[in-house]
Order: sequence, then C-alpha cells, then structure tokens
Amino acid sequence: MQGNTRRTGVMTDVHRRFLQLLMTHGVLEECDVKRLQKHCYKVHDCNATIEKLEDFINTINSVLESLYIEIKKGVTEDDGRPIYALVNLATTSVSKMASDFAENELDLFRKALELIIDSDTGFASSTNILNLVDQLKGKKMRKKEAEHVLQKFVQNKWLIEKEGEFTLHGRAILEMDQYIRETYPDAVKVCNICRSLLIQGQSCETCGIRMHLPCVAKYFQSSSEPHCPHCNDYWPHEVPEVFDPEKERETGMSRSNKRPSRSRQH
Amino acid sequence: MSHAPKRRRCVLEEGSEAQSVLAVVEEDTSSSSTCSSSFPSSSSSSSYSLISSSPGEELNVIPGPPGPSQDPSQGPSQDPSQGPSQSPPSSSLSPTAVASPMSESGDSPSSQKEESPSTSQALPNAESLPRNVIDDRVADMVEFLLLKYRTKELTTKAEMLNVVIKDYQDHFPEIFREASECLQLAFGVDVKEVDPSDDSYALVTTLGLTCDGLMSDGETMPKNGILIVILSMIFMEGGCVSEEKVWEVLNVMGVYDGTEHFIYGEPRELITRVLVQEQYFEYRQVPNSDPARYEFLWGPRAHSEIYKMTLLEFLAKISGSDPRAFPLWYEEALRQQEERAQSGLATMDDTSAVASESSSAPSSSFCPE
Repeated sequence: MQGNTRRTGVMTDVHRRFLQLLMTHGVLEECDVKRLQKHCYKVHDCNATIEKLEDFINTINSVLESLYIEIKKGVTEDDGRPIYALVNLATTSVSKMASDFAENELDLFRKALELIIDSDTGFASSTNILNLVDQLKGKKMRKKEAEHVLQKFVQNKWLIEKEGEFTLHGRAILEMDQYIRETYPDAVKVCNICRSLLIQGQSCETCGIRMHLPCVAKYFQSSSEPHCPHCNDYWPHEVPEVFDPEKERETGMSRSNKRPSRSRQH
Repeated sequence: MSHAPKRRRCVLEEGSEAQSVLAVVEEDTSSSSTCSSSFPSSSSSSSYSLISSSPGEELNVIPGPPGPSQDPSQGPSQDPSQGPSQSPPSSSLSPTAVASPMSESGDSPSSQKEESPSTSQALPNAESLPRNVIDDRVADMVEFLLLKYRTKELTTKAEMLNVVIKDYQDHFPEIFREASECLQLAFGVDVKEVDPSDDSYALVTTLGLTCDGLMSDGETMPKNGILIVILSMIFMEGGCVSEEKVWEVLNVMGVYDGTEHFIYGEPRELITRVLVQEQYFEYRQVPNSDPARYEFLWGPRAHSEIYKMTLLEFLAKISGSDPRAFPLWYEEALRQQEERAQSGLATMDDTSAVASESSSAPSSSFCPE
C-alpha cells in the first residue's frame, strides 16, 4: 500500500456494477476478477482505459470504508491463487452465510469450523462432523440431511472437500478471519511467514512452526536444501511450486479442470 | 495479505465495556492511516461523501467517540488488544451487529446490550445523536439492505426498525435516507417502495441487467441468459408470449422441460416459479383456455430493471444484425431510454447508465447456442 499518495478515482457505474457482481458471486479468483472488470468497462464506458486492478479496487474501497466493508484480497491455501471477496469488517460472526442457510445449518457450519480449527491437519472428517448433528441448535437435523448441507457449503464456497474430509475455503478464511481469531484464540494457528491465519499448511517436525503452502513455495523458492526458518532443521516436506498465473494461461488449463494439489503434509 | 482490518466493533456476545472503540482506532491509524485520510480527499474528488457529515465535524471514518469527555478519535488510550467486543463506554451505541438477529440465535444478546453500557447518553433523543452513532446505524442498515438485495427479498419499514434501528426510531428517516444514498452511490442499488400501504420496499439494481461476463468460450448461456432469452421473446411478442413458444426456443438451446440442466437446474421450476417470484415475469393461464395453456408477461421487476435496448442488442447479436434493423422495437427501446432519463432513473454518474448502455457494444459474453 503506498503511503499518503494512494490515488482514489471517482466511483462510476463501472465500479458499481463490478461491486454488485462481485457481491453476487461471493468470491472470485483474480483472473475472473480481471475479466469482470473488463466486462464492466465494456458495458458502461467502453472507451475508457481500464484502470489497474489495484487502483480500481482502491477506488471502490475508499468509498466503502465508512460502511466498514472492503474488497479483500487473499490467497488460496492449497495452491496460492489470489482471490477476492467483499468482506464486512465490522461483523465477526458467520453472518454472511446467514442469507443462505437456516439456523441449524449455520450451527452445523460452526461445529465443522471448530473441528477444523482444532484439528492438526486443518481437515475435519465427514464422520466426525456428522456425529455432532444431535448437538445442533434449531430444528433437528438428520445425518443424511447434514450430508447435503455440507455439500451446500462446498457449492457455496465455504468449505472444500477432499477425500471425505472438509476444510475451509479461501472465502471463509477471508470473511471470517476476525471471527475465528476471536472465537478460538488458543486453537488458532498462524503462519510463521505471513502471520495470517493458517488452516492448511506444512509444519516443522522439530519445532512445530507452521507455514502456508504458498508461503513455503515462496520462501524456499530458490533454495536447494530448505531449512526451517525457526530452528534451522532440515525441512522434510515437498516444496510446492509458486503459483504463476501466466503459466496457467499458457497451458490453457481452465478453472474447472484444475484440481488443487493434494499436498497435506504435517 | 491485506492490511489489518479496521475493526470498528464486534458482534460478539457479552463483552467488557472497558475496551473502547479507541482501541480499535489505534490499530486502524497505525496500519491504515492513509485510508482514513484519503476519505476526505476522495470526497473532494466526487460530489458526494458517502456518509455525509455536517461541516466542521471531523469526517467520520474513524468512529470518534461521542461526547466531550472522550479523547479525540486519533488518540487511543487503551491497548489495542484483539480482544472481545469493545463497546464505547459513554455512547449509547452498543456493538450491535446487523447479523445477530439473522444468524446466531442464542449467541449474541447484543440486542439487549443497548441498555447496558452507559449512561451519559443512554436515551437517544432527536437532537443529540452524535454523528458516529448515526453512521453506525447507517452501516448496519446498508448491510441489512444488501442482504435483502442478494436474497431478492422484500423488506418492510417495520422489519428495518426492528432489526437495524431499534432504539433510534425517531431517526429512521434520516438513517434510511442516508443508507439509500450509500447504496445508490456505492452499489447502484435502489431502495424502491413497492407498497405504500405496508411500507414495503424492494432492492433493485439501477444499472440494468446484463449477464455478468464471466463466461469463457467453452461455456454456454450465462446464468441469467435464460432470463434474457425469455424477456426478449416477451419483448418481441409485444409483451406477452405463450409458454409453448418459450419451450420451443429453450429446446433449441438445449433446455428441456423436465430435464435437469447443468446450469439452470430444473427449467420449469426456474422459469415458472423462481423467476416469477423474483418478479421478472408473470406466468398466467391464458384466459378461457381449455385445456389450460399459459403465457409469460413482463413482471414488475423487468419493467424497472430491464433496458429494452439491452434485449434488442441481444436479439440483434444472435441474428447477426443490428438493433436498427428492427425499427419498431428500436423505437420502443429508445422511448424507454428517454423516459428513464427524464424520470431520473439514470444514476448519479455524469454519463447516465442509459446513455452509455445504448452506446456501448453489446456485451460479447452473450454466446447463444
């Protein structure tokens, strides 16, 4: 973030449409955000030069500031893709989900969230979540129903499922960062490199510090023999590749085809 | 990662009142002082400030504490722990989250909290509500209304008073007005009165409906493509189209009655129930038809949201021609633009959405089958 010289442009219909659509989508990857921006320009003001994305978003954020809302940028934990979501800074509950889910469903989410935070791997098994179905507030929910609800969470990008286990989607991490830190201050894990909330990552077997996979990728990018930044012990895990949007475009991988790397090392 | 969130207040449950908002302010000033200082400058670049403040008052990005006994907002006195909810001590504003009534049922008794903190300004009265209290309410109201916009639900004044305004009933008009302005300015969303008799409102976009341009070449119609298709047909047929015709066209697109579609789901459900509920169409039985046949007509929302020009451009595109090739419809679309421009439905931007809509190229993301 530049200092006092941060330029903010004027809010126009281009920005408004962008904001409406981003809000509707919930969360978007950077490549889609750029496409969305282009689309908004095309619809409203096709002759204008497309503002740099960062400035474009800053313009919007400066107007949203007094409403305690912000377009926040994050990074997916498994493969380092940049994502954007419209986040309410003041609210620290699961309120964003409140529009789509019933009370007992929200409670199921909270239970799953707690299991995920408490777990060592950042994943909670379907079985363990479903076993908590009796403890839910609100209308009684059967396990079969709960399975459906979990799938709904996945579809709406609150959870990710891998091999029968669930972890938080990047969107949930962005939106609920504060809530999580405040509700689970002791159980919360933090990345040694970026100091942000950590759900999935790699950990040092000697001293226990943890790092996000994309942080690992960046940190050990050019070292042939990775060592723990904290205790200097040999880093035993496979170092993932740094996310490169250019490479992605070249190989023509579409979003739907790409499967996130299944590295879950601890 | 983004900068530390400027947490204005927390939703959580009981919290100590000891922590004041000032603690949050410190985080805020240290990490993002530029944000707060840029707001005044952005307000000069445009003719609005999102939440207006009376001249001479500090522009309220950082919620300064109300009342003379507090420090000025830039001078935090408490330690900025990331702790639990922080309610400003002498403000009657308690950390109320809009979310609380809607989400966690048992968790936050924050609706009761209004009574607990404070004293010096326990009861709001019409004159002495400090600026930041209003701003807080406005922010809550905006969040509430955005939620209604996303879920496409109507809301009523009673609901707003109950959920958002609570103790500040007298200030409803002011808060409502400011929130509506914010929505218009920032989101291009309008709060429209639907039924004066019960004070119900709908949240509609003022930017006109298009698809959202997130299709890649491999994808087919955008999510609201089916909507555009049907609306175009209604337009072409002069306001009313038979259900049979609609299915004919949808079949060409690969959407079949009774067959689940990978984008649209169950199509009949979508067009005869969901989109009708969202007020884009009306679906009614053709009068005196036996066996019963049905037809689609414009719904109230389509009237206010759809630019006929958009539909025309869509039609032109798929037929490989130009809007002007359909002179009658073109005229009708132009007339609608005129009317809208005059009735001020165009947004506050200099280039009215209407004008730019007609001059812009049709969105290239319409790729019909």
